Amino acid sequence: MAATADFVAAQKENRRNTMVLLVLLTALAALVGYLIGWILESEGSDTMPAVSALGIGAAGVMAAISVGWSLISLAVGDRMVLSMAGAKLIEQQDAPQLYNVVEEISIASGVPMPKVMVIETDALNAFATGNRVGNGTIAVTRGLLDTLSRDELQGVVAHEMAHLANLDTRYMVVVGVTVGLIALVCDMSLRTLNWGSTQRRSDSKGKSGGGILIIVLLVVAILAPLAAKAVQMAVSRQREYLADATSVQFTRNPAGLISALGKLAEKAAPFPGVSRATQHLFIVNPIHEFNSKTPALLATHPDIEDRIARLRALGS
Amino acid sequence: MSFWIVIGILVVIGLWLIALYNGLVGGRNQAQTAWSQIDVQLKRRHDLIPNLVQVVKDAMGYEQETLTKVVQARNTAAAASGPAQAGPAEAALTQATRGLFALMENYPQLKANDNVKQLQEELTTTENKIAFARQFYNDSVNSYNTRRQTFPAVLAAASLGFGPIELFNMPETEREVPKVALR
Repeated sequence: MAATADFVAAQKENRRNTMVLLVLLTALAALVGYLIGWILESEGSDTMPAVSALGIGAAGVMAAISVGWSLISLAVGDRMVLSMAGAKLIEQQDAPQLYNVVEEISIASGVPMPKVMVIETDALNAFATGNRVGNGTIAVTRGLLDTLSRDELQGVVAHEMAHLANLDTRYMVVVGVTVGLIALVCDMSLRTLNWGSTQRRSDSKGKSGGGILIIVLLVVAILAPLAAKAVQMAVSRQREYLADATSVQFTRNPAGLISALGKLAEKAAPFPGVSRATQHLFIVNPIHEFNSKTPALLATHPDIEDRIARLRALGS
Repeated sequence: MSFWIVIGILVVIGLWLIALYNGLVGGRNQAQTAWSQIDVQLKRRHDLIPNLVQVVKDAMGYEQETLTKVVQARNTAAAASGPAQAGPAEAALTQATRGLFALMENYPQLKANDNVKQLQEELTTTENKIAFARQFYNDSVNSYNTRRQTFPAVLAAASLGFGPIELFNMPETEREVPKVALR
């Protein structure tokens, strides 16, 4: 699809996807909760009740966890990420060039001026968080400020502003919660099945019809978290390409971001306070070595060479 | 019967006029707000340039011609009123300051001077802000102008007092817009 640059549309799409995910997530959590409750209840007795009171209760609890987890993540997630990474709020006089560049891109994008933070580390990286347009934060590392030229910094800041403008930051939080919750419920169902099967063995005459169902559930419970993870990573990579393109749309200068990515590829290094839970927020993956062959399916970020090639294609 | 038809038509025309008027006022206000943002940055730039000239004057005694050109361009730009006049004047000023920046590269003592560095950064960011704010201004103006020129608004816009608004173009300083495909 050769859609022309339109981050308003991207924003709308992300808003919708966020809602759809939240609803699906809650429904899924409730369903799994019901299944677990239902299996537990039917294991305890000889009859298999069509409507399980325990199931309904468990469904309610799971739905509440899902909604609560999402809301809490959206409300305080960004602050937690920032404090974990040791980001410090700065004013114009602390880092005039950085602050000026953010102001410029704020004008170019029409996104209200975000908070600007600096992370005191030599590693080269940057990230954005924010759950609403107008309530964003852009953080860059000291190493990045010291290494990049003004044009390169502008490209990186515009990439982060693109994440804010496209509402990727919020979307990825909800995606992260979804994946976490899927992993949690699958883990729970595995334990339940385990417990159920020991019960059954002592039961002598088991319900053989349920055996196949149990095996299916077992396979699903093992594969679902992996599939969810792969989907999360695919979404993350797609958001990175989009943010690169939107960045160029703001700055009208692909050369800046291209050369910045080149330097990031050479000098990115892990730094404290970054966990797997937050790695997708950064401009380049803060954990992995770039030369190492991370399986493409489970990478948060596309290959830098590939990103640079796509940016070059924009310029021609 | 025909009396009520006439009344009905008049009411519809009245409602249409109200909607048209409000729409045009909104568009014009947006363009004016956008222009005032550019204007703030232009003034800032006009204030910064004499400071920079003052600081580099002593070191760059042999470059009197370049400095004079910058000051002249600055004065012309500061005297310009309205987007159509300001555009070429500001473009000339950008050219002149770029020439000055290029010459300053030959003076290591200037490059090391914190004051100069700060002024240079301020001028650069101001120029960038002007360029970015200009895109938004021109987009607003284009949408307003298109609205007042299209049928049926064109029948009433001029008599309601909605004239065309000038674009703000800075020839020779514009970056080519890259083609961007999002997916």
